[in-house]
Amino acid sequence: MSSAPLLRVRGVHRRFRTGPTVVHALRGVSFDVAAGSMVALVGRSGSGKTTLLNTIGGLDRPDAGSVHVDGTDVTALDEDGLSRLRREKVSYVFQSFGLIPVLSAAENVAAPLRLARVAPAERERRVELLLELVGLADHARQRPAELSGGQQQRVAIARALAASPRLLIADEPTGQLDAETGLSVMALLRGVVESEGVTALVSTHDPVMMALADRVIHIQDGQLAEEAAGQPDEPVPDAR
Amino acid sequence: MLRLVSRRARAQWPLLAALIGVVTVGATLLGTCTLLSTRTAERALEVAMARAAPAAVDVTVYTGTVEGRDARSVAVDTRDVVTDALAPFPVTTTTRASTVLRALPPALAPGTTVGAQAYLSGLDDLATRAELVAGRWPHDRGDAVVLESTAQLIGLAPGRRVRLGTELAHPPVPAIDVTVVGVVRPLPGRGWDRDPLAAAGSAMGYRDGRFQQPVNAYGPFLVDLADLVTTGATVNRMEVTAHPDLSQANRRDLETAAEAVRTADRRLAGTLGDRVRLARVSSELPLTLRAADDQRHVTAAVVLAIAVLGGVLAATALVLAGRLTADMRADETALRSALGTSRRQLAATATLDAGLVAVVAAALAIPASSALHAGLTRLPSLDGAGLAVRPAITGAQVLAVAGGALLLAAVLTILAIRTRPAAGDRHTRHELLARSGVDLMLAVFAAIAWWQLYAQPTAASPRADVVRVLAPALLLTTGVALALRVVLPALRGADRLAYRARGLALPLAVSEAARRPQAVAAGLLVGLACAAGTFGLAFDATWHQSQRDQAALSVGTDLALTLDTAPVAGEGAVVGAATAGAVSPVLDRGTAVGQWLGTAGDAPRLVAVDTTRADALLRGRLDRDRTWTDVAARLAPPTRVIGLPVPAGAPLVLSGTATGDTSLTVTPRLLLQDATGLRIPCAGSPVPLDGREHRLPECATGDGLRLVAVSLPVAAGPDVGSVGGGRTALAVTLTVPPTGSAEGSEWTATSVPPVPSRVSDPTVVLSAAPTGTALRMAATVDLGGGEDAARALVATAFPDPGPVPVAVSSRFANEVGAEAGSQLSVTVGATPVPIVVTEVVPTVPSAPGAVAVLADLDTLSRARVLTGDLTFPVDAWWVGHPAGPGAAERATALHLGTVTTREAETARLTSGPLHAGLPAAIRLIVPAAALLLLTGVVLHVTYDLQVRAVEVARLRGLGMSRRGIRAVLFGQHAGVLLPLLAAGAAVGALATRVVAPLLVRSDTGAAPVPAVQPHWPWPAEVALLAGLVAGCMVAVAVVVIVQVRRADAAHLRVAP
Repeated sequence: MSSAPLLRVRGVHRRFRTGPTVVHALRGVSFDVAAGSMVALVGRSGSGKTTLLNTIGGLDRPDAGSVHVDGTDVTALDEDGLSRLRREKVSYVFQSFGLIPVLSAAENVAAPLRLARVAPAERERRVELLLELVGLADHARQRPAELSGGQQQRVAIARALAASPRLLIADEPTGQLDAETGLSVMALLRGVVESEGVTALVSTHDPVMMALADRVIHIQDGQLAEEAAGQPDEPVPDAR
Repeated sequence: MLRLVSRRARAQWPLLAALIGVVTVGATLLGTCTLLSTRTAERALEVAMARAAPAAVDVTVYTGTVEGRDARSVAVDTRDVVTDALAPFPVTTTTRASTVLRALPPALAPGTTVGAQAYLSGLDDLATRAELVAGRWPHDRGDAVVLESTAQLIGLAPGRRVRLGTELAHPPVPAIDVTVVGVVRPLPGRGWDRDPLAAAGSAMGYRDGRFQQPVNAYGPFLVDLADLVTTGATVNRMEVTAHPDLSQANRRDLETAAEAVRTADRRLAGTLGDRVRLARVSSELPLTLRAADDQRHVTAAVVLAIAVLGGVLAATALVLAGRLTADMRADETALRSALGTSRRQLAATATLDAGLVAVVAAALAIPASSALHAGLTRLPSLDGAGLAVRPAITGAQVLAVAGGALLLAAVLTILAIRTRPAAGDRHTRHELLARSGVDLMLAVFAAIAWWQLYAQPTAASPRADVVRVLAPALLLTTGVALALRVVLPALRGADRLAYRARGLALPLAVSEAARRPQAVAAGLLVGLACAAGTFGLAFDATWHQSQRDQAALSVGTDLALTLDTAPVAGEGAVVGAATAGAVSPVLDRGTAVGQWLGTAGDAPRLVAVDTTRADALLRGRLDRDRTWTDVAARLAPPTRVIGLPVPAGAPLVLSGTATGDTSLTVTPRLLLQDATGLRIPCAGSPVPLDGREHRLPECATGDGLRLVAVSLPVAAGPDVGSVGGGRTALAVTLTVPPTGSAEGSEWTATSVPPVPSRVSDPTVVLSAAPTGTALRMAATVDLGGGEDAARALVATAFPDPGPVPVAVSSRFANEVGAEAGSQLSVTVGATPVPIVVTEVVPTVPSAPGAVAVLADLDTLSRARVLTGDLTFPVDAWWVGHPAGPGAAERATALHLGTVTTREAETARLTSGPLHAGLPAAIRLIVPAAALLLLTGVVLHVTYDLQVRAVEVARLRGLGMSRRGIRAVLFGQHAGVLLPLLAAGAAVGALATRVVAPLLVRSDTGAAPVPAVQPHWPWPAEVALLAGLVAGCMVAVAVVVIVQVRRADAAHLRVAP
């Protein structure tokens, strides 16, 4: 584990207003994640996991606090900067796989490379490599609807890795999979973290995944509760 | 169940509003078309009849030979019969009666051995038909007025008493004494053609049919009608004309009156009994009503076709909306099924749901269609046709709207309860087969419909048949359905190409367009609406162009003045001055081709006009890029006739000599021509060839006349009795006073058929003489062969034209078997004229679809002159390029005859009350199609983006900017819409080419003449397509922008 944190989250607050009701999804969350590590984010439904992941990935903006990914202040980026961040440094793996239905597995994997305007030959090579990595080289031309849930999630992981991100965010990647398939997906994630040197932040309820993680962060009612493995690189300041 | 429906309606109100909107639009369209084809059509019939010319609706009863004692009662009874027949319409009657000829005192017509006769006439509206020149109108018993010409001829003046004696060929009756109290001048165009002497005032050698010997007839002595029928004079002819006031007519009353008129003859005969020798009812009313009814049906057929097309469009839009609704409610339906709701219960809910939609839509569509219909009738075209009405609700409209709404709601029900494939299912083999089968079936039906349209009889068939009503919708739907089969492979091809791009936006957009499970209903709606819109515009243009073509051909020129009486010299100049156009006299009448008189009631037509000005005069579309100038160039004579100028009122002098002992006379007949080409024959009395000079009658009654031909029939002198035999040389000189003009023609002399050899060695020389210009003619005459043998020397200012070159109509060519180069003859008057066919044209101006011949009037006249026939029959004046909109009114004010203009005929055919509903309906379909198309696009795009909101968020998660996502979504929908719009436009264009000409029919329901040519109005079509594209793009852009803005991280929580 490197001493320089790839991800630094400080005092992040996020509120949602639903009519007259205000929901505090995040209440001063702060933590760091070292580069090349795999961190499991654990909490009950509604605890703020997805909001936290979206805030880190720039899909959502915090009401207060800051998020730094690989030295970039995510909260200071404009719309284009956030898009660039997601193209170049952060990748997502969604619980519902998030594949584009009309594209084949290979085309889905190629999507981030197209966004990065990678040359066609290099793109083809990388797609082939990634599908090989996730064990779906034989399913390159199949569309998501023709793949099983586990296969779709493998394609999603391959796509997430396509643009060589620094941070891989996975939001309950095994939530819609059976135990056996989920295990294989988790093993795959663990494998790519090691083989690709990517940092992974994975929200999960799955104890197996927690076991595979280098570190587990618990979140409850929008606040960090406890850490099951490892320690933060520096003390978590109080919420603002 | 009601609670579920109610709560769902509240929760899904935008969707429900869209459904109600689509059903309402469809039902409103149906309701409006129903009103156009019922209420407006009825109103159109009433307006058309109210506006019909008097001659088209008047009822005239002709009675003949009424004894004096019965005259009054016959007049009264006739009026009663005709008034009863026209009930309940208010009727205005006018009566005209003329007595049999009665002896005129010999002192009034001295110097003749032929008996002088006169007659009385009574008109109850005399003051409107004549102008008082002297004296006063008759108002006392025994008062009479006479025509100016009669007064001058027999020296009558106000105050003169005249005794009209015994009746000709009739038992003795008391004489009638009348006192001339005034002199009148007959007004032109006021029915004087029905006077026994056509208002000429006198006729020498007149035969009235009841007396074999000719008499010199004078009259009429015009008396008050009431006076006439009480004089005891035998009435030779009586006319009672009834004019119904149809301003408040309705169809039922009109039909009742028409039927009563049809059977009025029988009632009249029963009423009048043997008080009259003959009685006949004549009226165009039944035919006028039938023609109007035919036109109404022709219009209604197209309006119904538009309604069907609108219904199909609305149904397609509803299928789309219904599918989207079913898709959006799929989870709810699945949940209810899982909770144990039976299929029947699901169907009941769907039926209730759809029923409520139908009820609300019908409730909205009934007043909406009434308002839309009333608004349409306020458009200038319908308002101008007198069809403007207030909004009203009719039973037929309610039935149509309710039925349409229910039918459309049934579509919703079926879509709601049909078994849906699971998400991600590919089309099953069964589905693909079924869809292919539907496409094939549509194609077969469309082919049959087209063939039936193509093969429909050209004869009149005004009733709406199923094929004509359904064909447009069927053919357009089939075309679009087949086009969809082409669009999808094209998109797939584009997909393959797009994937060569390096970026993501383009390939993703094209993939989304090409690979998404295709919404056939959406594609069909977009394509069909675009096809319907473009077809509607083009059909409107095609229909209007056809009406203009029909109008141009039926009139034949810009302004036609059909003459009531023979024209006089200088009349053309008067017409020209009134209309400021190019004027030509025209012969337009039936003829015989050789011995062939044509089929019954359809005699060959001969149209002769000044073809040297064909460009200005002739109208009517030709084919193969020919123009009338091209055709006429082969008909026109090579040179103009110049002739010999004759000063107005100049005394023409004829002198001649003949060798031999036989005293001979010539009866000079001159033919003069005015500046407009009108030729006026002038006949003189027999002139003895005694070497002395004889003054001829004043032939040159106006300025600018030229002598173009002289005919000199040779006969024995009155003292000889017969010509005897042998040959004699004669020399005749016609001297024309000088005019100062040095112009002149080469003159030619000839002898006339059938035995030209009776006059041999004809010569003519034009030379100067001390008193003017001398036309010296000479020939040798064979006096053998009997008294009646034709011997005439003809001198002309033109050479023999040979066979008259003519263009014949294609029907003429077919029926006579003629082709270019065929030599035939046509009969003009009693003179056969040889013709040679130079060209076959589709049809001849003013004789659409007829067996007709077009010739040059000058050439025709030349050919006739060379046969010795110097008459110059003229039936009309044609005017090209008349100046100003008031030309027709100014020409009418000349009271020379009936004026018809191309513009007026076009206006009648395009915006007359019986036609105006058709363009209104056609124009209705265009905005309706555009509205349904945009509704469908918004529905489809909104639904598509809603179900893909998560996908949009994920694209953001991939690092795609909002701009990029907007580009993808916009590109995707544009990629689908643009090919569909293009395909729709292509189908519309194809339908315009192959179907529109078959749908246009003439007034009578027959195939129009000239044949319809498809017309594609580029500016309007481009504007429509640009509007549709812009509308679609704006709709898509708005929806895309809103949806992309809404798609945020919250969507990522949602599973697909």
